[in-house]
Amino acid sequence: MRHIPLVSNRAPLSHPGWQIGPGLVIAGSLLALTIAGVAALLWQAQLPEISGLWQNRYLNNVIRFTVWQATLSTVLSLVLGLFIALALVRQPRFPGRSLLLRMMELSLALPTIVAVSGLVGVFGRNGWLTAVMEHWTTVRWNLYGLNGIVLAHVFFNAPLAGRILLQALESVPAPRRRVASQLGLKGWWLWRTLDWPAVRQVLPGIAALVFTLCFTSFAIVMTLGGGPASTTLEVAIYQSLRFDFDFGRAALLAIVQLLICGAIWLLMVRRGLTANLSPERRFSETILRPDSLGTARVRDATLLLCFTLFLLLPLITVLFRGLPGLASVAVDGGNPLADLADATLRSFAIALPAGAFSVLSALLVLALASRGGTNLSRLSSVATAAPLMVPPIVLGTGLFLLLRPALGHTFQGLALVALINGLMALPFVTQLLKGPLTSLDDATTRQANQLGLLGWYRWRWLHWPRLKRPLALAMAYGTGLSLGDFGVIALFGTPGQPTVPVLLYQQLGSYRMELAAGTALWLVALLLLVFAAFNLPGYRGKQNKHQRDTLKTLAEARHA
Amino acid sequence: MPTRFLTLFAGIALPLLAGAQGTNTLTVYTHPSFAAEWGPGPGVKEAFEKRCDCTLDYVVLDSGGDILQRLRLEGNSTDADVVLGLDTGTMETARQTGLLAPHGISLESLDLPLDWQDSLFVPYDWGYFAFVYDTEQLPNPPRSLEELVNAPEELQIIIQDPRTSTPGLGLLLWMKAVYGDQAGEKWQALSDNILTTTKSWSDGYFSLFMNGEAPMILSYSTSPAYHMAIDKTDRYQAAEFAEGHYLQVEVAALVEPSEQKTLAREFLQFILTADFQRHIPLKNVMYPAIALGDELPGVFDRLIEPDKTLFIDPATVAEKRKSWLDEWLNAMIP
Repeated sequence: MRHIPLVSNRAPLSHPGWQIGPGLVIAGSLLALTIAGVAALLWQAQLPEISGLWQNRYLNNVIRFTVWQATLSTVLSLVLGLFIALALVRQPRFPGRSLLLRMMELSLALPTIVAVSGLVGVFGRNGWLTAVMEHWTTVRWNLYGLNGIVLAHVFFNAPLAGRILLQALESVPAPRRRVASQLGLKGWWLWRTLDWPAVRQVLPGIAALVFTLCFTSFAIVMTLGGGPASTTLEVAIYQSLRFDFDFGRAALLAIVQLLICGAIWLLMVRRGLTANLSPERRFSETILRPDSLGTARVRDATLLLCFTLFLLLPLITVLFRGLPGLASVAVDGGNPLADLADATLRSFAIALPAGAFSVLSALLVLALASRGGTNLSRLSSVATAAPLMVPPIVLGTGLFLLLRPALGHTFQGLALVALINGLMALPFVTQLLKGPLTSLDDATTRQANQLGLLGWYRWRWLHWPRLKRPLALAMAYGTGLSLGDFGVIALFGTPGQPTVPVLLYQQLGSYRMELAAGTALWLVALLLLVFAAFNLPGYRGKQNKHQRDTLKTLAEARHA
Repeated sequence: MPTRFLTLFAGIALPLLAGAQGTNTLTVYTHPSFAAEWGPGPGVKEAFEKRCDCTLDYVVLDSGGDILQRLRLEGNSTDADVVLGLDTGTMETARQTGLLAPHGISLESLDLPLDWQDSLFVPYDWGYFAFVYDTEQLPNPPRSLEELVNAPEELQIIIQDPRTSTPGLGLLLWMKAVYGDQAGEKWQALSDNILTTTKSWSDGYFSLFMNGEAPMILSYSTSPAYHMAIDKTDRYQAAEFAEGHYLQVEVAALVEPSEQKTLAREFLQFILTADFQRHIPLKNVMYPAIALGDELPGVFDRLIEPDKTLFIDPATVAEKRKSWLDEWLNAMIP
């Protein structure tokens, strides 16, 4: 008889190395990439006198203004986002809720020029709302200046904050909700026991993310800022590098930006990622919150309606502006239609892999965060956001200097664009998955360990069921962000092969304003489609789960 | 918002576009509005390939400034044979890199508003900076820069930032050419008429001007040609200013490290022929660099024709740009 080797009964991918290794590689390379990008500039030029920075009136103003507008935008975005998320969690049956959610997801992925065009159509000097306001009230509203900058930043970021916060609030364990409901907790007490513990976990990360986005904002600040008094550090860096060819100064300013944003991240993630202590079973949709009825209901409905309008009106402007162009393309067919179809396919060929890549990377980095102890978890949080903190132009130039001699011409264009788009989406996707992935309570973890539910099996049976919906949403964000991306692709793609956003900019550059408006509308429609499609499986799941919940409640009752 | 990742990592992958380095490939670094499908690029490529038995490849960089930046970074190892898309604002800095070679071709056929004798740069089109206005909102536009500067606050205009945009820098030089040392004060006087200062021409034109946010925007004197010829509307016109208009000339040049100098010179020569130039008027919406005769679209006869061409020597611009920018910043930041 031949000797049969003992089959190893270890679960696939259960070695601790699998949980730390890949994440460490990704986090490490993101940090290394960022630092190398800035360092390469310094290697080309010497660091100028640092004292010059503090003595320069212009730069002083720039830094002060940047911090001020970013802080203001962040606070307003978070406050509004939190109120919206609370209203949404109180009113699970608000009509049009899922449309509102899709719009909240969509706004972040909109190319700046489309969003600004929509906002101007509503809030601008000739905007609808401005006209209504000036007709009925004495308020004189001026979009251009700090007003406009903050408004646009809130338009982009409040929905993002609201969406992530809503997900955190919805993950409050059912038993806890039931107890709160039975005790009739309201107001401060309900907030203190139910909502705040859920919000507290994700709020610092969102705050850091939104602050970084507003701090490094560029085109919005210039278009709506009114003049050079509204200049962010990013503009000054662009100027130093592109016009003055002053590598030293660009690197110095980039370091200042990196330090400010990096400090915010370190500060914020210091307290994040606390372990969830309460046992979590299934999410329950059926437990009514005591504060969801009566006047609260009216208040919430009004708030949600206003917020829906805030997001919807600019999109309607885009719709009206784009309809003639898009209709003529659809009716006339021919080249413009073929171009649009090609661009759409090309966009998806980049965006879907980019989305998948970002979700996978985020999972690996988060696995590192949950297994690797505090320092590693902090490192991983900051690392995913690092590429956001350094101006792309600095990173691009620096990496070009570093890598070109080694890499030469062997690049696969579209694959590389997908890869970079995926990395760009990482900070957002990580924020979305952080809550659900780390919300596993100690008891469950211990039980899983005892059962030997490790590696792939743990992932399949423990994480996957509760991560399905967050994963689909994360995938939607990753795909959507890549779909709406103009910057990276603009510099990689050849002009004969544009993606949808590149097509839009090409049309703009050639005065094809009507066509461009049509393309902008098409892009919005595509984004809507992506977010709707990825939310579909989650929706169906919700229906089934509802049934199972009822069964489980019965079973629990019998045991009791 | 993540679209702000304008140039991220771009540098690394761009050379792939220049990948196919056959013996008969001419690589031209240019910017998107030239190479786009609606731009002159595709027509020019087809016409040139017909006569050269070669392949013409465009490497598309984000702007004229990016072309220059790329050239500097690559130095002697550059893939470019020709750079096309620099202008009078960037050409002096490009000259100082020492990476450009004399074109050695005759510039006699040029038809520019000024005498052009440059051993490195071959003009391929030109235009005047001008304020384009919406005739429905503003029936009586200012007739001079002075009138604009002193206009009541009700007249709001959109301009571009000289730190990030070519027309933006154009206006800075225009003000300097007209007002000299007084430019700072005049900028201050103008500032209450400026609705906003956008990053790029597209941001202002599409998001603001075409949305009716302001009746006037800094653009080119040739912009109305497109609206008249293609959009079939006379609604948008350029305002002619009594002091004259600032000139922009877009240029191409031969790259010194190129191994295709003969072919590159052939291309530079080709620039000054009708086969290249006929793509310029309506596709680049600029004046052609040579006289096109009957081939010049009729709408070009209906554009403003400034009495005086304003132009500051590019070498002076390169030297003074930084201090002029500081002057502008100091005037505009209270």
